[in-house]
Amino acid sequence: MSWHRFLLDAAVGVPLLLTALALLPTRRGLMIRLLPFAALPGLAAALLVPSGTAQPLPQTLLGAGLVMEAQGRVFLGIAALLWTLAGITARASVTGERRDRFAGFWLATLTGNMLLVLAADVVSFYLAFAILSLSAFGLVVHDGTAEARRAGRIYLLLAIVGETALLLGLLVAASGVGSVFIADIRSALPALPRRDLALALMIAGFGLKAGLVPLHVWLPLAHPAAPVPASAVLSGAIVKAGIFGLMQFLPLGTALPDWSGALVTLGLTTAYYGVAAGLFQRRAKAVLAYSTVSQMGLIVTVLGAGLASPGPGLALSAAGFYAAHHGLAKGALFLSVGVLHAAGGASRRPLLLLTGLTALAIAGLPFTGGALAKLAVKGPLGTGAAALLVTLSAVGTTLLMLRFLMLVRRDTPAPHLRPRPAVLLPFAGAALAALTLPWLLFPAASGQALAYAFSPATLWGAAWPLLLGAAILAGAVRWGRAAPVVPEGDLVAPAERLVNAAIGRAQEWQAPAPQLPLQGALARVGAAAGRVEAAAARWPVIAPVLLAAVVVLALATV
Amino acid sequence: MAEPGLLVALPLAACLAAVFLGRRGALLVWVTGPLMLVLTWQLARAIPVVEPLGGWAPPLGIALRADGFAAAFLVMTALVAAVVGAYAATYFAADPRPRRAAAFWPLFYAVWTAVNLILLGRDLFNLYVGLELLTLAGVAMVALDGRAATLAAALRYLLFALFGSVTFLIGAALLYGRYATLDMELLAVALAPDTATVAAAALISVGLLAKAAIFPFHAWLPPAHAGAPAPASALLSALVVKASVLILFRLWFDVLPPLAGALLNALMGGLGAMAVLYGSVQAIRQDRLKPIVAYSTVAQLGYLLLAFPLAGAALGAQPWSAGAWTGAVFHALSHGLAKAAMFLAAGTIMLAAGTDRLDRLGGVAKAVPVASFAFVIAAVSLMGLPPSGGFLAKYLLLTYAFAAQQAGWAAVMVVGGLLAAVYLARPVNALMRAAPAEGARFARVPAVLQLAPLLLALAAMLLGILSFEPYRLIQVNNPAAAHEGLQ
Amino acid sequence: MTATLVYGLAGSVLVGVGLYGFAVRRHLLRQILAFNIIGSGLFLLFGALARRTPDGTSDPVPQAMIITGIVVAFAATALAEALAERYQELTGRTALEEDSKPAPPDEQESELRG
Repeated sequence: MSWHRFLLDAAVGVPLLLTALALLPTRRGLMIRLLPFAALPGLAAALLVPSGTAQPLPQTLLGAGLVMEAQGRVFLGIAALLWTLAGITARASVTGERRDRFAGFWLATLTGNMLLVLAADVVSFYLAFAILSLSAFGLVVHDGTAEARRAGRIYLLLAIVGETALLLGLLVAASGVGSVFIADIRSALPALPRRDLALALMIAGFGLKAGLVPLHVWLPLAHPAAPVPASAVLSGAIVKAGIFGLMQFLPLGTALPDWSGALVTLGLTTAYYGVAAGLFQRRAKAVLAYSTVSQMGLIVTVLGAGLASPGPGLALSAAGFYAAHHGLAKGALFLSVGVLHAAGGASRRPLLLLTGLTALAIAGLPFTGGALAKLAVKGPLGTGAAALLVTLSAVGTTLLMLRFLMLVRRDTPAPHLRPRPAVLLPFAGAALAALTLPWLLFPAASGQALAYAFSPATLWGAAWPLLLGAAILAGAVRWGRAAPVVPEGDLVAPAERLVNAAIGRAQEWQAPAPQLPLQGALARVGAAAGRVEAAAARWPVIAPVLLAAVVVLALATV
Repeated sequence: MAEPGLLVALPLAACLAAVFLGRRGALLVWVTGPLMLVLTWQLARAIPVVEPLGGWAPPLGIALRADGFAAAFLVMTALVAAVVGAYAATYFAADPRPRRAAAFWPLFYAVWTAVNLILLGRDLFNLYVGLELLTLAGVAMVALDGRAATLAAALRYLLFALFGSVTFLIGAALLYGRYATLDMELLAVALAPDTATVAAAALISVGLLAKAAIFPFHAWLPPAHAGAPAPASALLSALVVKASVLILFRLWFDVLPPLAGALLNALMGGLGAMAVLYGSVQAIRQDRLKPIVAYSTVAQLGYLLLAFPLAGAALGAQPWSAGAWTGAVFHALSHGLAKAAMFLAAGTIMLAAGTDRLDRLGGVAKAVPVASFAFVIAAVSLMGLPPSGGFLAKYLLLTYAFAAQQAGWAAVMVVGGLLAAVYLARPVNALMRAAPAEGARFARVPAVLQLAPLLLALAAMLLGILSFEPYRLIQVNNPAAAHEGLQ
Repeated sequence: MTATLVYGLAGSVLVGVGLYGFAVRRHLLRQILAFNIIGSGLFLLFGALARRTPDGTSDPVPQAMIITGIVVAFAATALAEALAERYQELTGRTALEEDSKPAPPDEQESELRG
């Protein structure tokens, strides 16, 4: 029906139009007031447009199109909901001179997000991914502090590297298939001659966005630096773009044992690394960021497991389901940081309770949406070592979440402070959605009846990692010494020093006495470039070269 | 009505009129700009068109022929020239030296005439006349300022260009001696791979490479383009150098495909790759805005030559199966728009800040926000980020490189894109720096000087977003070698 | 030895001599002269080509080219002379210096601000 297609257009078009509007010299604060409404068409589309609705746009790009697919619908709905809720918070909490600019970046990022989940062809998909990545930079650096700018620099650098890898991956895939449509590429990918190259590049590109170790370093820097609502969408929606990309292009349903093993290894490493580095953080938002890293590792493990055997399997829907829950829950937790910061006295206790519930839901607390998410991925994971390690990781997640709760509890605002409704309600909404929405989606995503979730064995399976985690933490608090601190972004500090030194050298090309091999090489390139330029300007040098070029060209011509 | 001859005659008439009008020549552009846009648009809808001038058929007469390739560039040229003209009218209105302003307008129309002539001409001598007109007007534009440094730049440009003219003419003489015609279609039919033909091909090609500032013959370009007044730089970088490459394309894809073996293609591709890498490295080493933009032209021109090894070498299953040739043509179009936008923006920024040293540009984005924004948009296209025309071009070229199993050329493009990000990030950073340098004062500039670059930058962006129509246009009557490859 | 051959050979020799001078000489005036010698050689060549029609009549196309070519060469020479002269007035040099650094900051641009 035509209004279905119109809704697809609106899901992308409305935020796009608002972005264009934000570029005009605006009336003060108008754009920020519009933020809660920008994602509503997307939400409506996710709820109302039937799967398979396509909107071809043959005049644009190389023949682009929008399409509503089952997987995209989940991501579209969750993302739109989160963008709306966080938009309400942003409208209330982002103030000051630069709020309109913030709104512009917000809207552009949202446009990218909406287009990403609806894109039917690789060109629009890549376009969306690039818009999403590059506009999010504006959200990261919004505060303008030295910390935010450093986070932004590193984010941008890695984003560009990721974009390049992704573009190459998509090109290698598209060049072998002869179609720009994602569905065609996905189905033809397993048989391509350069399949492995394409997959490796795409996994690098998407993995960077999803925070796979060792490409995760931007995440714990960017999340704490951004304003609260921006962190919420970063973790809840933007990081998910990487997962969504993997789900769009990985040929799930075909057995690729090598890739399966690689992804499972990568995923589990990330899952445990995130826990290990996150436990030694001092700021609540940094702990949450590392938890996101860890959780994305788990989703990638599930996707990897899906590649182990042929047949459709449930890996795709289970991973989507897990990502949906995580998006809502993590979004809510980031919002809770802002809420708890403004909740003093008697208002604090119930809010802490809700935060605690949501946090433990991520670890799989029985009867919460999180428990269902953990349950859904059990099937695709099977019973091997990977499954055991995923289950055990819940212990780490519990530790991480308790650590987060300890950190936010420490914050003691004045007793008379109460969070404003516009800040409180989005948090409550996201938290409740995270706790309850999975109940609606569970049967479709896991192929299991809801009753399965209530069986005693299932409940115990979800509960013991939590209890173990709590016990370990109690022991650590009782007997432990002061924990060491891991710098946010762990691996980034030494790399940053090297890069800074190298860039400094490249600019002053006549550098004396180089110290590192890399620096020496760069200095030599610079010096050589200077000499070549001087020679190319000398007519007595270049005139013979021109005459010689005639001879060479004649010899090269058949 | 679509008369190719009119597209040459009209700017030529304007050129003559401008000689007499002096500074008031600025007013002409408000007529010629829209008129040429309409005429080129009509031509683009009527192609293919052939017009034997005066009713004389080749080889005795000269025919103007418009195919999709020509039409696309004619429209782009009209757009760039119209916008640059509007910009220049304001830019020179405040010029304290009336002679410079008066001298600009005849040169402006001479360049426009010459570019159109080159796009429509299919006769090598006709192309020679166009090239000479283009070169002489271009050199004079560089010398407009009359300072010692710009005179030196103009003289160096003239040396390279005259060398190119001479070899081009020698080549043309050889071909005429061998085939008794210089009409490209007739030459293509009669072509035989003998010594005279090969020597002529080499002579003409090297002449064109020198005029197109392809590495290692690029040294004249950066001082010339960076030293000219902003509107002149925009025309020079967007249109003038490109015209030589376009003739090179016509020559090899229309006339000489049987001569283009793997070795020649690799050689051309190698020159292009060197230009991409070398130009980018040099751009990174600059610390002023206009030289960065000028070296970026050196780098970007290199991409066009990559069409030689990549053209057509791919599977026919692609929905856009016209080879890397189309990608290169797309690249030339989008670079024309984006580079003109960038030079105009740089000119506005210089007017506002009084300098183009990167370390003195802090705070300029607040003084000229629209021009700064235009610079950023143009940079997006040059870096090849979506959804710009530059992205589409690189997408086409890269797909072909992969499909043809030529990952080496793809690597050049990718590295070139990353280097472009590096050399453009520095000026963008400098513009966006909030804190002005010590003692910096910013002048107010007229709105036109900010809007003109924005218009062109947005056009470069739209070329990518609405790429289907230009893509179709380029395909009309394109040479067989564009599909089938050169080897 | 036919007249055509003589003209052709003479033209080729002139082109060669001119190219040598153009590439080797540094004095701007000499380079301009060399350019004109190449031009003359080429026009001779074209003239010789015009005589080569089978029936011995002359081909009008090369003659038209020669006339056009002379006009073009004249224009180029005039421009080059003017530039070289002005350059010598400003710097006292008769040859291009060997450094092609992009021109230093443009003080004229700032004048415009006045």
